[in-house]
Amino acid sequence: MVDMLTTTEPVAELPGGERAAGRVRALGTARFVAVKIGGGLVSLLLVVVLGFFLFRALPGNPIRSITTDSHTSIEQIEKLRAEWGMDEPLPGQFVEYLGDLLRWDLGTSFKYKQPVGDLILGRIGPTLLLTGAALLLALVLGLWLGTRAAWRHGSRFDRLATGTSLVLWSVPTFWLGLIALMVFAVALDLFPTAGMTTPGGVDGFLPAVLDVAHHLVLPAVTLTAVTYAQYLMVMRSSLLEEMNADYLTTARAKGLTDDQVRRRHAVPNALLPTVTIIFLHTGLLVSGAVTVETVFSWPGLGLLTYNAIGFPDYPLLQGTMIVLAGAVVVMNVLADLVYRLLDPRVRAA
Amino acid sequence: MSLLEFRDVSVSYAGARTGVPAVRGVSLRLDSGEKLGLAGESGCGKSTLAMSVLRLLPRSATVSGQILLDGEDVGAMSWGRLRAVRWASTSVVFQGAMHALNPVRKVGEQIAEPLVIHHSGPQSAPALRARVNELLGQVELPAAKADAYPHELSGGQKQRVMIAMALACRPRLIIADEPTTALDVIVQAQVLEVLTRLVTEHHLGLIMISHDLAVLAATCDRLAIMYRGEIVEEGDSRTLIRDPQHPHTKALAAAFPTVGDPIYRYAPATLTSPTPQQPAPTPIWGGGRVRGQFTADPRQQDPDPAGHPQVAEVSTAPLLRVDNLRVTFHGRHREITHAVAGVSLDVHEGEIVALVGQSGSGKTTLARTILGLQKPTAGQVIFAGEPIPTTSRGLRAYRRQVQLVLQDPTSALNPRHTVYEAVAEGLRIHRLAGDEHERVAEALRNAELRPPEEFMPVLPQELSGGQRQRVVIAGALALEPRLLVADEPVASLDASVRGEILALLLRLRARLDLAALVITHDLGLAWNIADRVAVMYRGALVEVGPVDDVLANPRHGYTRSLLAALPDSGTVNVQ
Amino acid sequence: MSTGAGRIAWARRRRAAGKLWRDFADSRSGLVGLAALLGIVLIALLAPLWISADDLSVIKATGGILTPPSGEFWLGTDHAGRSVLDLTVYGARVSLLVGIAAAVLSVGIGTIVGMLSGHFGRWVSAVLMRVTDFFLVLPALVLAIALSTMLERGLSTIILAIGVTSWPSTARLVRAQTLTIEARPYIERAQALGGGHPHILLRHVLPAVLPLVLANTTLAVGSAIISESTLAFLGLGDPSKVSWGLMLKQALDTGSVTAGAWWYLLPPGIAIVAVVLSFTLCGRALEIVVNPNLKAGRR
Repeated sequence: MVDMLTTTEPVAELPGGERAAGRVRALGTARFVAVKIGGGLVSLLLVVVLGFFLFRALPGNPIRSITTDSHTSIEQIEKLRAEWGMDEPLPGQFVEYLGDLLRWDLGTSFKYKQPVGDLILGRIGPTLLLTGAALLLALVLGLWLGTRAAWRHGSRFDRLATGTSLVLWSVPTFWLGLIALMVFAVALDLFPTAGMTTPGGVDGFLPAVLDVAHHLVLPAVTLTAVTYAQYLMVMRSSLLEEMNADYLTTARAKGLTDDQVRRRHAVPNALLPTVTIIFLHTGLLVSGAVTVETVFSWPGLGLLTYNAIGFPDYPLLQGTMIVLAGAVVVMNVLADLVYRLLDPRVRAA
Repeated sequence: MSLLEFRDVSVSYAGARTGVPAVRGVSLRLDSGEKLGLAGESGCGKSTLAMSVLRLLPRSATVSGQILLDGEDVGAMSWGRLRAVRWASTSVVFQGAMHALNPVRKVGEQIAEPLVIHHSGPQSAPALRARVNELLGQVELPAAKADAYPHELSGGQKQRVMIAMALACRPRLIIADEPTTALDVIVQAQVLEVLTRLVTEHHLGLIMISHDLAVLAATCDRLAIMYRGEIVEEGDSRTLIRDPQHPHTKALAAAFPTVGDPIYRYAPATLTSPTPQQPAPTPIWGGGRVRGQFTADPRQQDPDPAGHPQVAEVSTAPLLRVDNLRVTFHGRHREITHAVAGVSLDVHEGEIVALVGQSGSGKTTLARTILGLQKPTAGQVIFAGEPIPTTSRGLRAYRRQVQLVLQDPTSALNPRHTVYEAVAEGLRIHRLAGDEHERVAEALRNAELRPPEEFMPVLPQELSGGQRQRVVIAGALALEPRLLVADEPVASLDASVRGEILALLLRLRARLDLAALVITHDLGLAWNIADRVAVMYRGALVEVGPVDDVLANPRHGYTRSLLAALPDSGTVNVQ
Repeated sequence: MSTGAGRIAWARRRRAAGKLWRDFADSRSGLVGLAALLGIVLIALLAPLWISADDLSVIKATGGILTPPSGEFWLGTDHAGRSVLDLTVYGARVSLLVGIAAAVLSVGIGTIVGMLSGHFGRWVSAVLMRVTDFFLVLPALVLAIALSTMLERGLSTIILAIGVTSWPSTARLVRAQTLTIEARPYIERAQALGGGHPHILLRHVLPAVLPLVLANTTLAVGSAIISESTLAFLGLGDPSKVSWGLMLKQALDTGSVTAGAWWYLLPPGIAIVAVVLSFTLCGRALEIVVNPNLKAGRR
């Protein structure tokens, strides 16, 4: 009877069982990484297919049925049709398109008369700088204020923080940029109105860095203002969800101060879902960057996209779309992998 | 000076709908080394009272009266003093199976945390580790478990971790809040054993809260019964169980029948006895719950409300025959679970069979397979001489014959549907001819919800737990089935309504000749209503036979261990 | 079916609707949002009564170029001499139309995808979720830009571009809710009673997700309006229809920002914020009614 009683607890307690469990876990990690990377590759392929579908296969698409437009000449379209092999059947076109992509051959821009691939490579740096700075600021601000708002929910601070976030959430990014431009660059003349560097350049390394930083302030603050509000709301609601959890009562009963309960128990648990949601929505940050770059003429991928719209420069648009979407997909795979390191529950699953 | 004293303590919640305080004028004393059990049904205020000791109640709660811990008024303590008292002099064993442990921190860290907070013992990392290992050893867990996360532990192991954590700072008083609820009978017995042993060894004071009088009686010296915020009875455990005075205590005591005692055979104890002649309890709209007269003593019951127990004739073909049934699940990591591993079982017409086993024994999978909700891997289910159909049309027709009653009536009813719609749902699915209204009324009457018209427009959440379960039963009866499969039909109901539902099943069998397969973890339930019992262990039936035989002379070791795990007061030596 | 049964069901629905309204009315910010919305919709509907096509025509404009607010033009004039007030009022029509239509399209797709992937397990769910997550992750604006460059300019293109790029979050929400509902024992009870897929989806799941969908639509209108103005600002809107985004694009293109013509810049932007905020306030109030768990936190 005794052996029966001990075996009723399902978790194996034999040393062999422990080792086996460890092996399963290691295998699980390899599997998890493989699944996530595999999923990422599938998503990348989908991005590529989407690029093909949108720009070449869509019925009624201007390249398929030649139309006249202000900037694009019929000649250019004809050239593109020949270059993209638009008269061939679709499967053949797709194979050729894939091959081109793998060789980083994204075609020639109508507007700049340069290879699209080179144009994009030249613009990645500024976009990374802008989105990186904004992401960092927004994360720090959003998580900190969100935690404070949730912990003292209903307080004046909470109402103020939530109210501000709601208003910022309702503000179109580009309009906020326009207002910032008008007030701080035009009226007060505190910051430059456009670009990333002073035309003509500055001498010396440090002055050059400061010059870029000076140009960065307005676009980065605008992008931060819109994104931190979203992060704040996410952090606040996931912390609120944790606030009624039983393990917080346990922590209080143990004699922890309010501050310790928050820092050691509540925030780590609330942070995990928040970070997932934030990375899942990197796309929003990229979308914001497109409009901010447009307003401040920040020479990144967003401005490149905007310039392509007006023309319309189809090869360039296709290129920026694939690169921006692909970058977001890669970011998400990375976030998934990092998340696994943070959350023990995912590690075991 | 006593260890803990409540002096006329009342607790009320701001914004509570009823306006009635959760705890009313409670005075209690506990001396050091004493074990006090606090019993009552859900919502009686027992947890509120316990949490008030360390001022762990939510901010909306107002406490009046005095709570003295070692003579010191808890209400008057400063925050710093209170934090110092928490855990160091009084600790809590929460219901660890739920979320009382932080899911993203190792349990070892969580056990060590109070040691660090209260500077208890040497603070070096190896010393802390040694103390954690020692504590884990005391609750009979291997030291390696310190590196586990809560989700890697079973319910029983989590509860042991909670106990180890409570002992960390060598407190003088432990408050255990439903420490074994949601655990299996056998695991429950193990955890209780560990808890009582440690409390006795360290000469600690213990307040244990439970809805299960039998569990408390087995652990505590003294019992206090709470009902609607008040202590209605208090006294020595054995005397109180043997000779309960207050009607509510009687009802609680009777809800846990003594297996082997003929008084309880085919006679589940009921608080109210809604025999067909009596008016049913009125549905409650917003106001307080209406309770009937207390007639709890099973000895005073109508001795034979259920008709005679029918011993099925072996010669007739069974209504349901389960033939060497197997259900196998494939997990994500290619592990294989044999949830049902070759089960054969018959249910005859008009017979009540109890299928007894712990959670994870495969009994729910078996029930789902019988209903055609789960495809068997091998073997078959034969109903009225024919294998159950596999086409969706055939299954639909089959499900008129066999109906399901689920464990938790609160979640088994769509909260958006009125009682009428819930009962009529099956009729509409099967597009049965005839007057729908009349059929619904008839089903409600059969489930003893009278007058049916009063219940029809009511939403489930406006009913009491027992009434909800009657609605579920009425929904099944509306299709005029021949077999009822009831999966833990009373497990989530309060003790005092448990008997009513069981008695209803017996009366339905008598009146409608309805057969039933009742799935349960509770041997007492089998003793109360079943003709035959089948004991399931790890997917297989280890023992099948008439209730009186099997429970009086268990042959299989598992059946014996189940009987042995019943808390002491519940078992009578039948030999 | 007897009339008694129908009466009980209708009485129940009336009670539920009444309760929904009473709960909603508990939220002061929700009421403020609703009142503001009703006012804005009314103005948008009645705008043609006092604003004629001539008022909006670049050629027939009567005012001076970029004049500050005055008695004649309360909010000044634009680069072509038109009244900014008239333009702003008229712009509400396009913004509301596109916002509501795109939100309905997006939430519709999301609800169907979410319910199906939540109800049918295995590969249906796997494929649908894969697609959902893919679109969720993509930068919706970039996709919408590509889509609207490749299709003919016009309101329907904008609606389509916003609708088909913004449904994934709804799909996830509805799927999660569907899974929650389907885990409830009453679904198993319905199966045991003999109910099939249509019965469970239509009688149990749909009514349970509907309030959530309603709240979600309200919130989605707000973000669709922002998307619309952004696309118009980027030059992808219908240039013949006055909208707030188009006004802001023209303001930037004609140098009103550097000229400091705040009266041209502020009204359309404030209008967008006001409308979006109203929808958001309403949506959040509805969300709390639908999901009382949120109540503790959001007051």
